[in-house]
Amino acid sequence: MSKLRQIAFYGKGGIGKSTTSQNTLAALAEMGQRILIVGCDPKADSTRLILHAKAQDTILSLAAAAGSVEDLELEEVMKVGYRDIRCVESGGPEPGVGCAGRGVITSINFLEENGAYENIDYVSYDVLGDVVCGGFAMPIRENKAQEIYIVMSGEMMAMYAANNIAKGILKYANSGGVRLGGLVCNERQTDKELELAESLAKKLGTHLIHFVPRDNIVQHAELRRMTVLEYAPDSKQAEEYRTLARKVHANAGNGVIPTPITMDELEDMLMEHGIMKQVDESLIGKSAAELVAEAALVA
Amino acid sequence: MSVVETLSVEDIKARNKELVEEVLRVYPEKTAKRRAKHLNVHEEGKADCGVKSNIKSIPGVMTIRGCAYAGSKGVVWGPIKDMIHISHGPVGCGQYSWAARRNYYIGITGIDTFGTMQFTSDFQENDIVFGGDKKLAKVIDEIQALFPLNRGISVQSECPIGLIGDDIEAISKTKSKEYEGKTIVPVRCEGFRGVSQSLGHHIANDAVRDWVFDKIGDKLLAFEPSAYDVAIIGDYNIAGDAWSSRILLEEMGLRVIAQWSGDGTLAELEATPRAKLNVLHCYRSMNYISRHMEEKYGTPWVEYNFFGPTKIAESLRKIASYFDDKIKEGAEKVIAKYQPLVDAVIAKYKPRLQGKTVMLYVGGLRPRHVIGAYEDLGMDVVGTGYEFGHNDDYQRTAQHYVKDATLIYDDVTGYEFEKFVEKVQPDLVGSGIKEKYIFQKMGVPFRQMHSWDYSGPYHGYDGFAIFARDMDMAINSPVWNLTKAPWPPKPQPLQLAAE
Amino acid sequence: MTQDADKVLDHFELFRGAEYKEMFANKRANFENTHPDAEVDRVREWAKTKEYQEKNFAREALVVNPAKACQPLGAVFVAVGFEGTLPFVHGSQGCVAYYRSHFSRHFKEPTSCVSSSMTEDAAVFGGLNNMVDGLANAYSMYKPKMIAVSTTCMAEVIGDDLNAFIKTAKEKGSVPAEFDVTFAHTPAFVGSHVTGYDNAMKGVIEHFWDGKAGTVPKLERAENGSINFIGGFDGYTVGNIREVKRIFDLMQVEYTIIGDNSDVWDTPTDGEFRMYDGGTKLNDVANAVNAKATISMQQFCTEKTLELVRNHGHEVLAFNHPVGVAGTDHFLMEVSRLSGKPIPAELEKERGRLVDAIADSNAHIHGKKFAIYGDPDLTYGLAAFLLELGAEPVHVLATNGNKAWAAKMQALFDSSPFGANCKAYPGKDLWHMRSLLFTEPVDYLIGNTYGKYLERDTGTPLIRIGFPIFDRHHHHRRPVWGYQGGMNLLITILDKIFDTMDAKTNVAGQTDYSYDIIR
Repeated sequence: MSKLRQIAFYGKGGIGKSTTSQNTLAALAEMGQRILIVGCDPKADSTRLILHAKAQDTILSLAAAAGSVEDLELEEVMKVGYRDIRCVESGGPEPGVGCAGRGVITSINFLEENGAYENIDYVSYDVLGDVVCGGFAMPIRENKAQEIYIVMSGEMMAMYAANNIAKGILKYANSGGVRLGGLVCNERQTDKELELAESLAKKLGTHLIHFVPRDNIVQHAELRRMTVLEYAPDSKQAEEYRTLARKVHANAGNGVIPTPITMDELEDMLMEHGIMKQVDESLIGKSAAELVAEAALVA
Repeated sequence: MSVVETLSVEDIKARNKELVEEVLRVYPEKTAKRRAKHLNVHEEGKADCGVKSNIKSIPGVMTIRGCAYAGSKGVVWGPIKDMIHISHGPVGCGQYSWAARRNYYIGITGIDTFGTMQFTSDFQENDIVFGGDKKLAKVIDEIQALFPLNRGISVQSECPIGLIGDDIEAISKTKSKEYEGKTIVPVRCEGFRGVSQSLGHHIANDAVRDWVFDKIGDKLLAFEPSAYDVAIIGDYNIAGDAWSSRILLEEMGLRVIAQWSGDGTLAELEATPRAKLNVLHCYRSMNYISRHMEEKYGTPWVEYNFFGPTKIAESLRKIASYFDDKIKEGAEKVIAKYQPLVDAVIAKYKPRLQGKTVMLYVGGLRPRHVIGAYEDLGMDVVGTGYEFGHNDDYQRTAQHYVKDATLIYDDVTGYEFEKFVEKVQPDLVGSGIKEKYIFQKMGVPFRQMHSWDYSGPYHGYDGFAIFARDMDMAINSPVWNLTKAPWPPKPQPLQLAAE
Repeated sequence: MTQDADKVLDHFELFRGAEYKEMFANKRANFENTHPDAEVDRVREWAKTKEYQEKNFAREALVVNPAKACQPLGAVFVAVGFEGTLPFVHGSQGCVAYYRSHFSRHFKEPTSCVSSSMTEDAAVFGGLNNMVDGLANAYSMYKPKMIAVSTTCMAEVIGDDLNAFIKTAKEKGSVPAEFDVTFAHTPAFVGSHVTGYDNAMKGVIEHFWDGKAGTVPKLERAENGSINFIGGFDGYTVGNIREVKRIFDLMQVEYTIIGDNSDVWDTPTDGEFRMYDGGTKLNDVANAVNAKATISMQQFCTEKTLELVRNHGHEVLAFNHPVGVAGTDHFLMEVSRLSGKPIPAELEKERGRLVDAIADSNAHIHGKKFAIYGDPDLTYGLAAFLLELGAEPVHVLATNGNKAWAAKMQALFDSSPFGANCKAYPGKDLWHMRSLLFTEPVDYLIGNTYGKYLERDTGTPLIRIGFPIFDRHHHHRRPVWGYQGGMNLLITILDKIFDTMDAKTNVAGQTDYSYDIIR
């Protein structure tokens, strides 16, 4: 157990979290690491590139079919994919019903009780968007993930989400062992993206682990439900993920307790980098038309 | 045992104030500050008891309170006997409240009546994760298949329902349509709502309004209305309380068309807006629906108190005042009819109970309503408090019931209650099952004043005789002479070596 | 008017008076909108049929009259079995009121337990503040030696992390850093009260043996000859634990009872309220790591607990609530084997007395058909005892029994000629049992207090064995374990059989025969 490294990827929905994590883990597998992916997103898309599958049967859907989670066997829920990476998906309800957070708790308890973590070097949790409730914080409780990697980009909302996740980590960092491993920036080609990402990392007390440049080859691989590592192992992008994997591997024990910032500080930061113009408080909440009308009045 | 009689009112006030100070000392500062607002010594002439109420209980203090589910399923809805009440969620809530409240009824249980049964959707992990709406729909179908004579269904939400965002209203509507307009009542009484049972009462009242009254439509009454129709509101028929009340109302010439909700039926709920007067016993749990009926249907309501002959006579006259002379005369006749029984009961028991002191801690109306019955027997209530009262309860208490210097404790903690009893040394404590054995072990006679300690009824004249007998048997039981061994106490044993 | 000051009539008699009966009839006729009597009779008869049973057994969602409670009840049971320990349930407060009432109604004793009183805001923001304040208040008011935390379903749905919360509370000074706070997540929507027992017991043992949530080094085991004993969730815990202690003392076995509720639920009335009494000493829990072996009397109450114990190198043994001669034989022989101590002559004599009693009375039990329901281990133990008496436990039902339990029951039935027509019903409830009692009637029903509705509806005499027993007093003070316990059970069963015989033969002028003075 002592050797087992547990990491987690968090990030705003649609940021490319699953893509980044699967490619990175595929690269780690190339390095000879034995990997278990635990998808903690009700969409259950954290393992599709590894398994070449649309979506894996999830623990919760199988449990629902079997009657209860106690009726499941580990073999039923664990699939093996590219380079023997073991995959499980927690799954969860359709949007708008039930409690997906509880589903994460149920699934992780099941995996632990059934010995899924034996003979593994890495467990990676891929967690939905934000830390929205206690259930989605399950992977960062004590004795779970030691390092969290936040996948983000230079977009305002992605940075906002990253900061929120840092808050979640901070909450558990004091009592448990969880640390922020670092940021991974998935290039969106927004203005001054690298600069911003580095700046945010610094504010959060961590560092930018890697800046993953945008490359269409990722799309091509995805359409074939493959990682870039498998689809085009000699490509430049594959090398990017290998670099990221090496950095993650070397990052053991280097996690920090994050220092999340306030919304104001975040806005200030954007302004510092000239992304957001200084805004007159009196103009906030006014439509363009209103502003024109007011300007006319003053004139 | 009583030390009260030897003290002057001023002495008692000083003692009680010191006592309040003393119990507060055990708490961390923040808690002491909060609890201080709930403890007081009553000053005669004040409009209320000088305590804050209906505020969140403090974590970790051993509050005696329950939850909104208890208030809705356990109190208001559960006794409606021809409906099936689903404890919707995990198994526990329905299990612990299963038939525990002794809401008496008559009917073929499991066939046309369902009072002492536990219906639950028994939530499993899957239901939490994927939502329980489909299961609820199936539960309703299965109820219809197996219990075809049920007149309606209520869905009593337990905590998870609100947390996972199930839409029980939608399911209830759909199923109601599917079963030809059947009454299916979703109740949002999750246990985490509000601060006690009280919000559950309110939510349950609102559910009657929205899902029973508003759906009556043009349903015909099964009977011809009369000028003397009344409905008993807020009597749960514990041990038959509503029956020993109903009989008096009928004897005075009124016609009781509904009982809310002890031994009640859906038809009675639906008929109630036609009543000429709603007579309200438990104000706390059913004032909401009474006010609603007043506003919407113009039905007046009047509070009454059927504990002890003084309050019974007062109440009968008050109720009669809403009617013509025939009923007023009827009330006098009833009072006269029972006078010999009252005299005999008082002659027998008062000499054995005179001057005995009582401390109460109960819910609903009882912390004030039973005081008169004790006084009829010559007893003094020296301390009282509400589990889930509001300020209007404390106003009524101060203005009509308690004496100067009475110790008042709102949402009392286990610790406070024990300390108060230890110091005040009443001859009797009246509270609930959780408190009963604590005080008996302390050597203090005790009666459960929620369930009447499996005796009762206590309402009405018939009930008063039982009440008097029970208080006598509690206080004057020979067992209280046996609590101390007759031999001299041993000196404290020396510290023994580890076994 | 029937009421009389000289002979006060309460609900038993009062409502049978003519004026009340008339009042009930009027209410029913005029206001209740009842179904026609013929229709009620028709449905009542239909509900007794095989056809109804099939519909009843086809239920997939609805549960009616289940014989199980929820996890935190089991956790509270565990908590009060330790020295000076205050159970603390994190979540909605109403639950705690229910657990306390439930235990008090069974044991006729106080049950102390606090709640973190979470309300709507805690549902949104999490219950950390409730934990921080709650621990501080409970600690300063009730001066416990230990607090055992468990959870209601509310805290579980929102995903509160007890370990983290307790650590934070300690950092904030709610309780001293070294103060023992054990914890167990006990979601009500998983398993039943026996699962909660298991989780909480595991939580306590793990705390003391495995480094108190990472705050001290894990204990190093230095094996001694002692035996640990875990009773499981047991309505007879007061009598049973005392009997087990007596047996161990007679055998001169060194032992630790882990979870000893025998004093806290049987305190004297002598002028003093003992909020804490007896219980396993906290030091003893820690030292129990050194034991040679750990015995659980109830396998299904201790599956996770025993796994933890086994991983510490103990030999573990799980019984299924052994009662009667063979069950007790097996238990004693294993204790003897583990301890190396012989079974003393006194116990052998007790065994002989129980066999003697069975020989005297078995004619009244032999061949009788029984239905049993209750917790998985108890039903197993009782079924085995009935087979030993030559009776047939035809329907054995455990709402909280799983497939493994059913398989185990079947193996038991297969082991005896009297088990040939017997069947186990896992996951079924008392409404299922009602159908069974109509379509495949038995002579007697064994179960808890709720069985009285089945007794009334089906006419099957109920022998009250189980939890909870609300409507009979003091049964929990008598053991059902050991030969002495077997004797108690035998007498309980026989009394009901004889009472039933008398009740069926006491009509003068009709059944003067068979109403015998000697049986």
